[in-house]
Amino acid sequence: MTIGKKNRKKKSFADMLFVFCNTVFMILFVIMTLYPVLNTLAISFNDGTDALRGGIYLWPRKWTLKNYTTVLQKNNLVTGTIVSVARTVIGTVLALFSNAILAFIVSRKRFLFRKQLSLFWVITMYVNGGMIPVFLLYKSLGLTNSFWVYVIPGMLNAFNMLVIRTYMNGIPDSLEESAQLDGAGYTTIFLKIISPLCKPVYATVALFVAVGQWNSWFDAMLYNRMSDNLTTLQYELMKLLSSVTNQSGSVETMKNAVGTVTPASVRAAATIVTMLPIICLYPFLQKYFVTGMTLGGVKE
Amino acid sequence: MALTKKKQTNGTATKITWKEIKRQKVLLIWSAIIVVYGLIFCYFPLVGWLMAFQNYKPKDGLLHSTFIGLDKFKQLFSDVAFLKVIRNTLAMGVINLIATFIAAIVFAILLNEIRSKFGKKSVQTISYLPHFLSWIIVTGILHDALSSSGIVNELLLKFHILDQPLNFFAHPQYFWGIVAFANVWKETGWNAIIYLSAITAIDPSLYEAASIDGAGRWAKIKYVTLPGIKPTIMILLLMNVGNVLNAGFEIQYLLGNGLVQSVSQTIDIYVLKWGISQGDYALGTAAGIFKSLVSIILIVIANQIAKHNGDERLF
Amino acid sequence: MRRKKVVSLIMTASLAFSMLTGCGNSADSSKPASTDSASEESSTDSTGSADGTGSADGEIKEFTAFFATPATTEINEDNEIQQIIAEKVGAKVKETWLTGQTDKEAIGTLIASGEYPDFIEGGSGTPQLIDAGALVPLDDYLDDYPNIKALFTEEEWDKLRQDDGKIYFIPQFSTIKGEEKACAHNDEAFWIQTRVLKWAGYPKVETLDEYFQLIEDYNAANPTMEDGTENIPYTILCEDWRYFCLENAPQFLDGYPNDGSVIVNPETLKVVDYNTTPTAKRYFQKLNEEYKKGVVDPESFTQTYDEYIAKLSTGRVLGMVDQWWDFAYSAGDSIKQQGLDSKGCAYVPLPITIDKGIKNQWHNSGGVLNVSSGLAVTTSCQDVEGALQFVNDLLDQDIHDLRFWGVEGVDYEVLDNGEFYRNKEQTTAAADAAYKSSHLCPYSYFPQYNGTSDDGINATKPENQPSMFYETLNDEVKATFDAYGAKTYVDMLGSSEAPGSWYPMWSYSNSLTTDTAGGTAWLKMGEVKHEYLPKVVMADDFEASWSEYMSVYSECKPEDFLAEMQGELDKRMEQAAKFNN
Repeated sequence: MTIGKKNRKKKSFADMLFVFCNTVFMILFVIMTLYPVLNTLAISFNDGTDALRGGIYLWPRKWTLKNYTTVLQKNNLVTGTIVSVARTVIGTVLALFSNAILAFIVSRKRFLFRKQLSLFWVITMYVNGGMIPVFLLYKSLGLTNSFWVYVIPGMLNAFNMLVIRTYMNGIPDSLEESAQLDGAGYTTIFLKIISPLCKPVYATVALFVAVGQWNSWFDAMLYNRMSDNLTTLQYELMKLLSSVTNQSGSVETMKNAVGTVTPASVRAAATIVTMLPIICLYPFLQKYFVTGMTLGGVKE
Repeated sequence: MALTKKKQTNGTATKITWKEIKRQKVLLIWSAIIVVYGLIFCYFPLVGWLMAFQNYKPKDGLLHSTFIGLDKFKQLFSDVAFLKVIRNTLAMGVINLIATFIAAIVFAILLNEIRSKFGKKSVQTISYLPHFLSWIIVTGILHDALSSSGIVNELLLKFHILDQPLNFFAHPQYFWGIVAFANVWKETGWNAIIYLSAITAIDPSLYEAASIDGAGRWAKIKYVTLPGIKPTIMILLLMNVGNVLNAGFEIQYLLGNGLVQSVSQTIDIYVLKWGISQGDYALGTAAGIFKSLVSIILIVIANQIAKHNGDERLF
Repeated sequence: MRRKKVVSLIMTASLAFSMLTGCGNSADSSKPASTDSASEESSTDSTGSADGTGSADGEIKEFTAFFATPATTEINEDNEIQQIIAEKVGAKVKETWLTGQTDKEAIGTLIASGEYPDFIEGGSGTPQLIDAGALVPLDDYLDDYPNIKALFTEEEWDKLRQDDGKIYFIPQFSTIKGEEKACAHNDEAFWIQTRVLKWAGYPKVETLDEYFQLIEDYNAANPTMEDGTENIPYTILCEDWRYFCLENAPQFLDGYPNDGSVIVNPETLKVVDYNTTPTAKRYFQKLNEEYKKGVVDPESFTQTYDEYIAKLSTGRVLGMVDQWWDFAYSAGDSIKQQGLDSKGCAYVPLPITIDKGIKNQWHNSGGVLNVSSGLAVTTSCQDVEGALQFVNDLLDQDIHDLRFWGVEGVDYEVLDNGEFYRNKEQTTAAADAAYKSSHLCPYSYFPQYNGTSDDGINATKPENQPSMFYETLNDEVKATFDAYGAKTYVDMLGSSEAPGSWYPMWSYSNSLTTDTAGGTAWLKMGEVKHEYLPKVVMADDFEASWSEYMSVYSECKPEDFLAEMQGELDKRMEQAAKFNN
């Protein structure tokens, strides 16, 4: 009894110390990571020319919505957004599905070419043929000037596959074995037994793929430059940024010294604009990998 | 759990028999499709590697460009500047790998220890946000903070660690550290997501059992959480070992300057300067092949070590 | 699913063929590629109007263009002036620009694919395009298009001939029509804030020593600004390619024009390396002294461009070397916005040379013929005549006015004396990014005129309109100009005649690649200078540091580079000689 009590007391002191240190650490960490975001937010609401002289930290000095109107008035922004949403949704579904299948295959202990297939994909992470051969390949596959260039080439990816595979490896074999005894085929095992247990890792990979899709613009530039109806939000923003960076000043701005947008202010606004949808979407995915702790019990 | 692991690592490959093939028909069909996909999209473009052995001109294509053999490789490895950028890339790659890796794991574990659900969620949400800022924004802020009138110098002066402001970017010895810090700052929260999802897979009954055994927080972290995410740690470690030569381009480019260029330039910057900007396709391709070979050798070695230790491995 | 895979396999096989045979190495192989591109263009054309090929009269032809340079302004699809021009000349162009790639990279991909837009500006990838046979020789067409022909003299056209004797591209920015009307000195100079000159009673400042003496004296007497902010006497920008602010002053100090990479001695017609001249050493030694005195900003060599602009914007920096366009439209605007220009923080240029009595050439009159790149028509273009007709039409005065001034009554007013004028609302609108995209359509990378319009009154572009320019001047700047008997920035420096027919040599050094020994040396020299020039300026022992720099520098084999430059110089002079008789 006494020992137990003493133990608990000691534990709770260590516990308190830990909680205290952890809380302090987390607060510092949050401040450090929040700062650049808030700074970007402040600059996005600040007059561009005024921001040039620096000294803006957490709050705008000279308020304006000009940066946002500049961004939101960009030509093709609606088309770009639709395409970006489409590629994010379709690309994520396709990638998740195909990576999960591949991961499922290579995580089957009995599978004949388990090692070979894994190696086959691992190597793809470290080799690349260069821009020109890839361009010519896509062109002859009819992927240039096409929506599919956004979702087909990156569909399978060794990194995402390995993340899922590792998770699947942690699922006890007994589940598969007992299902097989019940006469279930691999398709059933994949869809009904394994996948429901993999929700956290699916959510993680979906997040990775979705963010990658949402943020990418180079493919739009390289393969679909001439097709305005296939442009993406990020590509339009990149073009805007590039043109703001290169706008030679003119006598007009000199004369009136009108506050005008600068590359930094437009970049800040564009960053916030592209971040918002992800921030809004995030909580729906987050519940799978932060709260956790409930799925584990199902496994055994 | 320990049992399954043993079985998995020691499990001998199943023999190829008709019966087995029939049994695995579904798996085999799908893998065939996947292999075809991989051959087309990942392996076929490697014919581009021929460029490294040619004086490649876009108008001539791969067939008509003149072959120059190993000239470009010789040129690369006889250039002192290239050997220097290999050193820089390796050094930054290793430092970044260790720093970002440990930071993400520690952060994920500490985050997991937060009891308040709200606190946990908000910290996690905030922590990944810098991932969405471009390097130009992050390096801009970092430059401000480290400038002679920036907050870092102000603090160092206030606590009398320095007598006069230190220009961090003028001294090569700080550069690698600054790059590593920037990487940790921007990516820790994002990288931690994987570990957080791995932690959810840990059976809560293990924690309960540990509590009954009188284990404290440290003990639980050490004996339950860490072993639980060890496979994920191993896999990511193995993958990233292969990436040490991809130490980056943008961040060094943005943070570097003439005074530190002897330590700041990476292979990618070298390739941009001496290859891409010169219309010299062979040089860039040769450097790319070199990087690929090093990566593959590294992961094969790392994979063997993991195999030897009975850990989760890539293949 | 499986059938799809089979199809892609077949496609892959056909790809292997096309990739191995290469593209566009003969006229034959570029032909199918071009039909290909045309059909793809029309199939993805969202407006549904006819593509550029053989359209009937009254229909608007649509061309495509790619410029291997970052966009200045993206023109929206429903751009108003673009539509007006299209109705007048019967054609329009969809422009695309470089984003996130180097020009050589982008051009390399285009060549590999064998598909080109109708118009192209290849930047430093231009030689590759010519090499690949992607450009249409213009020689046979030029005589049919008087406006294009009139852009250059026979001698100038001759300079544009490539090794095969043909002309492939039209430099867009090299022509000045009539009186030049240059008010701003858009180039490099030693700049100084007007308050420094005012304090010293507007002295004559001609040499490097005088310049720094003035800055030192002023700073000793006025170490802070009115609000207590400490002055930064002199700062040097040397981030990446912008290190010209540090490195190329020696050529100007010796009284030579901006050849950019070498000095050309006009008497002997020999190239001289300005990095190793006695003047170069004196200049860097001066900087070294000033650095030790604390006059040179200690952060000079680590600051980013953004930090540099921020410093200038606060009005703290008394002087620096820079190109006008590099700071005036960012920091200059900010200074104005805060009203700091009324406190003497605006910059004016000074005619600095190393010793007294040297004629400075900071400003040269006359256009600079860029012989390294320009607008070209590609072999993918199905209607070369139509394309060139469009370029020709763009040079008509009324279309030119539409491009650069806009619509009369909307974007500018015409005064009774025929002078064009933009009022306050119009100038504000013209500076607005969204308005630029939706309304204005300069076709900024198509050939154009600087100088004076056909009416003899107006500048061809608003930014050169003298009456509008003077309105931008602050009283402090005007007072400074008055004190030196100047009316414009250019007058502060004095203008020089255009240099000889070789000018500018940078158009050649910019096109050098590591294919040649000289190009390799040129790249290495740049690397060494990036690292050692800051070290030299910061050195405790200047002499030791300078000789170390010189020995590392000579290891780059600058002689290879100079030999190639000399070769080019000789070639240019030889060509020019044909026209001098």
